[in-house]
Amino acid sequence: MRKRPNLYTNYQDENAIFSNSTQKAWFFALIIFSISICFVASDYWLLLLTRSLTFAIGAWGINIVSGLAGQISLAHGSFIGIGVYAAAVLGGTATSSVIGYELDMLFWLPLAGVVSALVGLIIAPITVRLKGLNLGLVTLALVFICSHIFSNWTSVTGGAGIGRKVAQIKLFGVNLENGLTLGNIFLEREQLLYLICFFFCVLLGFGFKNLVRSRVGRAFAAIRDGDIAAEALGVNLFRYKATAFGLASFYAGVGGALASTISGGVEPGSFNLLFSILAVAIIIIGGVGTVLGPLFGAFFYIMFPGLIQSLFKATGIGEQSLALNLGQIEAIVFGLFIILFLIFEPRGLWGIWFRLRNYFKAWPFSY
Amino acid sequence: MTIFLQATAEGLSLAGIYSLVAIGFVLIYKSMDVLSFAQPALAVVGAGIISSLAVDRGLPFWISLVLGVSLTGILSLLIERTFLRPMVGEPVFSVAILTIGIDILLRTTLDNWIGLNPRYMGDPFPSYGNFGSISINGVTLKYLELAAFSTAVIMIIALNIFFKKSKYGVAMRATSFDQEAAMAQGINVGRIFGLVWFIAGLLAAFAGFFITGGFNTLSQLSFTFALRALPAVVIGGLDSIPGAVVGSIVIGLTQGYVAYYQISFEEFVGFSLGSGFSLVAPYLIMFIILIFKPDGLFGTKEVERV
Repeated sequence: MRKRPNLYTNYQDENAIFSNSTQKAWFFALIIFSISICFVASDYWLLLLTRSLTFAIGAWGINIVSGLAGQISLAHGSFIGIGVYAAAVLGGTATSSVIGYELDMLFWLPLAGVVSALVGLIIAPITVRLKGLNLGLVTLALVFICSHIFSNWTSVTGGAGIGRKVAQIKLFGVNLENGLTLGNIFLEREQLLYLICFFFCVLLGFGFKNLVRSRVGRAFAAIRDGDIAAEALGVNLFRYKATAFGLASFYAGVGGALASTISGGVEPGSFNLLFSILAVAIIIIGGVGTVLGPLFGAFFYIMFPGLIQSLFKATGIGEQSLALNLGQIEAIVFGLFIILFLIFEPRGLWGIWFRLRNYFKAWPFSY
Repeated sequence: MTIFLQATAEGLSLAGIYSLVAIGFVLIYKSMDVLSFAQPALAVVGAGIISSLAVDRGLPFWISLVLGVSLTGILSLLIERTFLRPMVGEPVFSVAILTIGIDILLRTTLDNWIGLNPRYMGDPFPSYGNFGSISINGVTLKYLELAAFSTAVIMIIALNIFFKKSKYGVAMRATSFDQEAAMAQGINVGRIFGLVWFIAGLLAAFAGFFITGGFNTLSQLSFTFALRALPAVVIGGLDSIPGAVVGSIVIGLTQGYVAYYQISFEEFVGFSLGSGFSLVAPYLIMFIILIFKPDGLFGTKEVERV
């Protein structure tokens, strides 16, 4: 039996998180590698990795609503913003202009997700009634309404162009902002942040995987493939669509709250339409509806500028000698990648990974 | 009363600008089932071409206007040919996201060219004073606003005649009705798609000029102005040209009235709506209308086969 990896004798085995022990071994090797990397990598790359992990959490969120349940959401960036500000209010320090309660991370992180999810559920009666492009357009309107609120609610957000400081990293009453000494190892803030984000990324990643194989996940897939047919089969459309929006917003809130701690400050203008489109683009580049896709997409999007920069350094081209600056090159390449992936590889990076894996599995045969 | 008339006049001129972009949206949506988010970007690209020809190259204004508008049309046609043609038959949303990718490409290139300083458009009638205005009974009407409104009216009438009378106009209507049947009648559907994008590009470039003309100037933020044509289209219904015009009027007037009456309204209700509310009001209206009429005011109701 051990030699036949694709033979399943019962439903549980087929649906298992790891389909065979090789996969499990690779996964644990990856975990150990990822943890050890934080002792080796420089701060620059560590911050990029941390950002990728938080973006992956956010991307899983939109993958729930758009990839699994097939409901187009262009307002994901706004839900991320809501999470960021919920965390900033609960975990940040109060100043003369903004409010903050300096709570522990144990409270502000889940609550950031919950607040965001609640907003997602509040608008659910509107979003559930619509589908297709109209839903996309309503969520587009939501982006503009939210960013208007963000820039005008100064006691929470600090106001447009000014911004505020975000939540403090304080876990179990220990302030981690200046690093932590464990035995004779000293962990810097960057390393701690990386480990925290890594932990939540793995946790929420498993959450996503489990969602896919649960009853709820199957209902989402049914709604995506044909909502009227799903309703005829007894799937409660309202409940599951609302659940999809709520869960997606929860992931968005948690991802946003974690991502905001990396930079330490946040400005309301950053949650604009482009930011929401970015979320959609990440899952398109990564692979819509897949578990690993958002992870690939997020890493690709965040690591890419670093790679371009290293390329410039390696080839000795000065940034000044180019017609476009680095941000513009990024934007152009990113726009091109959206177009090219949609035309040539709709399954995204995951699709490429899938084909590569199958190619090497069967090597030297072509199938 | 003067304030009311002033707000109405400005609202109507905005409506004219929006309807130019909005009709482009509707034409593309009707013929190809594609919601093109690249339309606002094409509008500002058109303005950019006009500005570079008229101001940087020093060409006479009218020549640069004609060149800019037609070059934008050709650019739009090329976009359809290279990026949109391979996507025929793909899900509506994928194509919409693809046009967002095009939008990012166009705008990044344009923003790089604009730089930090606003760009000017050049002046069609230097002898009348730099984009002046006339005053009727205390209502100030800018020439630019009058031109925007009349251009929109002329364009709408011209398009109407084009669709009713010309061979290609009829072919376009046939294509939007049923692509395969049109093909069976010997209509070159691919050419029609190209033509639709060309016309949409022309309209967008005109709108781009009116958005950025005079003292408005072309900056990296001009794009958001053109994007507000999107709520106009949605309010009217994505597949209805009269709807696009009505939607534009609703959006334009709303924006005009909110800009003039927001402060007195806030004093009346006692809380602040925030600065820049007139720019969000269109989206708020679109949000409310979509809740009650998901297909817009004039859109055809979507019938779905299970």
